[in-house]
Amino acid sequence: MIVFDKVSKKYPLGNFALQEVSFEIDEAEFVFLVGPSGAGKTSIIKLILKELSPTSGSILIDDEDISSSSFKKVTQLRQKIGVVFQDFKILADKNVFENVAVSCRIQNLSHLETKNQVKETLALVNLDKKERVFPIQLSAGELQRVAIARAIVGERKYLLADEPTGNLDPKTSWEIMKIFQKLTGKRTIIIATHNSDVVNSLQKRVLVLKEGELIKDKRKGGYDL
Amino acid sequence: MREIFTSLRRTPYQSLAAFSVLFFTLFLSLVLFISLSFVNGFLSYLETRPQVTVYFQTKTPENNIFKVRDELAASGKTLAIKYINQRQAFQIYKDLNKDNPLLLEMVSADILPPSLEIYAKKPIYLPEIAEYLKKQGDVDEVQYQKDIVDKLLSLTNFLRKSSLVFFIYLIFMSIVVLTTSTLFKIALKKDEIELLRLLGASNNYIRKPYLAEGLFLGSAASFISFLIVIGTFLYFNTFLKSYLAGVPALTLDLYATRLTVWPMNPIFFTAMFSLSLVFGCAIAIVSSYLATNKYLKV
Repeated sequence: MIVFDKVSKKYPLGNFALQEVSFEIDEAEFVFLVGPSGAGKTSIIKLILKELSPTSGSILIDDEDISSSSFKKVTQLRQKIGVVFQDFKILADKNVFENVAVSCRIQNLSHLETKNQVKETLALVNLDKKERVFPIQLSAGELQRVAIARAIVGERKYLLADEPTGNLDPKTSWEIMKIFQKLTGKRTIIIATHNSDVVNSLQKRVLVLKEGELIKDKRKGGYDL
Repeated sequence: MREIFTSLRRTPYQSLAAFSVLFFTLFLSLVLFISLSFVNGFLSYLETRPQVTVYFQTKTPENNIFKVRDELAASGKTLAIKYINQRQAFQIYKDLNKDNPLLLEMVSADILPPSLEIYAKKPIYLPEIAEYLKKQGDVDEVQYQKDIVDKLLSLTNFLRKSSLVFFIYLIFMSIVVLTTSTLFKIALKKDEIELLRLLGASNNYIRKPYLAEGLFLGSAASFISFLIVIGTFLYFNTFLKSYLAGVPALTLDLYATRLTVWPMNPIFFTAMFSLSLVFGCAIAIVSSYLATNKYLKV
C-alpha cells in the first residue's frame, strides 16, 4: 500500500512540483496519474522511488515511512518496485534475456530461478522467441516490452511506468497497454501518462494533477485534456 | 569472466594503461624485494663468518696462542674460537691454489702464520676483541670485518629507505592511474549505473564488475611480472652460482621464520609471487573502491 499524506515538493529555485498531495493506493490497484506536462506526475514516481525526498508531508510504502532523508533502506525499497521509462533504458550491450535477468540478479534470485522467471516473463510479453536478440535489432514496441519484463520479473510488487507509451505509435501503445492490463490484480500498477485515449478506454482509477495539485481522484474514471 | 574481457576489449587503451602501470609497479617491487633480500641475506651471512681473525708470528709457541684463546673464551663475549695451526693453514692454502702448482711450490707450512678465528656473540664486541688482540705480544695482524658489516648495514638501510619511498610512489601512481581508468569506464556506463540503482542494485552489486576487472588486471600483472623476474633469475643462475661460489646459503629473517634467499628454492619463489599478487590485488581493490565510491552515493 502506498500513502501520500500532504506531500509537497519544492525545488531550490522556489517552484513547487507538488503541493500538499494526499492519496492512498491499495495493494494490486491499477492507477493512472494524468495531467499536462509539469503537473507533477514524474515527481510522484520519483518520490515513490526515493529519487527525491519530499519537502514536507509523509510517504508510506508498506507502512514504512520513506519520506525522511535519513531513510537508509533505499535498496530494499527499490527491489520491491519495477520501473518502466519513456526512453526504455535498455542496456545496449546485453541481449533481451540478459536485460531482464539483471533485475533478477539484483533481487538475489538463484541462477535457476532467474532462468525460469525470465523465460516465463518473456513469454508473458510475447518476446520468448527473441531472448537472444540484442536491443539494436528490436523495434520501439519490443524495447518497451523488454523494459516491462524487466520491471515485473521476480518479486517486485509495484510497477511504476512513466509515460510508457510516450515514444510509441498508437497501435504499439495499445499492445503495451494490453500487457499492463494482463498484470491487473497481480501487483500495484501506477502509470503516469497523458494519453487520454488509453486512460478513457481502460476505465481504471485516475488521479488528475494540475500544477502540482491533485485536482481529481476518480475510481473508474476518464480523462479530458 | 566474459564481462571482464568485454570491458577490456571496449576500453583497450585505458586497460592497457592500467595494466602497464600495475606491471611496472609489481615488476620493480619484485626486483627491489629480491635485491633487499640478497643484501640482507649477505649481511646475515657475513655476520656468521669468523668475525675476527688474528694471525700470530710464525715462531709463536702454541701455548701462548692457547693462553690468548682461553682468556678470550673466559670473557664470555665469544661464540666460538677456532685454532688453525701452520699445517692446517698450509692445507687451506693448498686447497685454494690447487690449480696453480707454481704457487704451491713457493710456499711451505713454516712460512704460514698460525691463527685464531673468533666468532663474537654480538657485532658490538668486535672492536673490543680486536683491541685486546692487538695488545698481545706475539700477534702479527688482526683482521676483522667490522668495516664490511658497517658498510653493508648502511647500504641496506639506504636501500631500505629509498626503496620504501620509491615503492610508496609506485603504489600511489598505480592507484591514481587505475582509479582514473576505472572512473573513465564508469563515466561511459553512467546511465547503466543509474538504471541499476533505480532497480535496487546494492553498492556491492554495482562495484563488483569494476572490482573483478581490477583484480583480473592486478593478478595478470603480478603473474607476468613474476614470470619475467623468474626468467631473468634463471638466466643468470650460472653467473650467480659462480659469483656466490663460497656462500653456502643466504637467508633472511622474517619475524618468526627464516627464508632462504640463495640458492634458488620454491619457497622463495612462492613468497615472491604471493607478495606480488597481494600488492597487485590490494592496489586493484583500493582503486576500484575509490573510483566507484564517487558514483554510489544514494
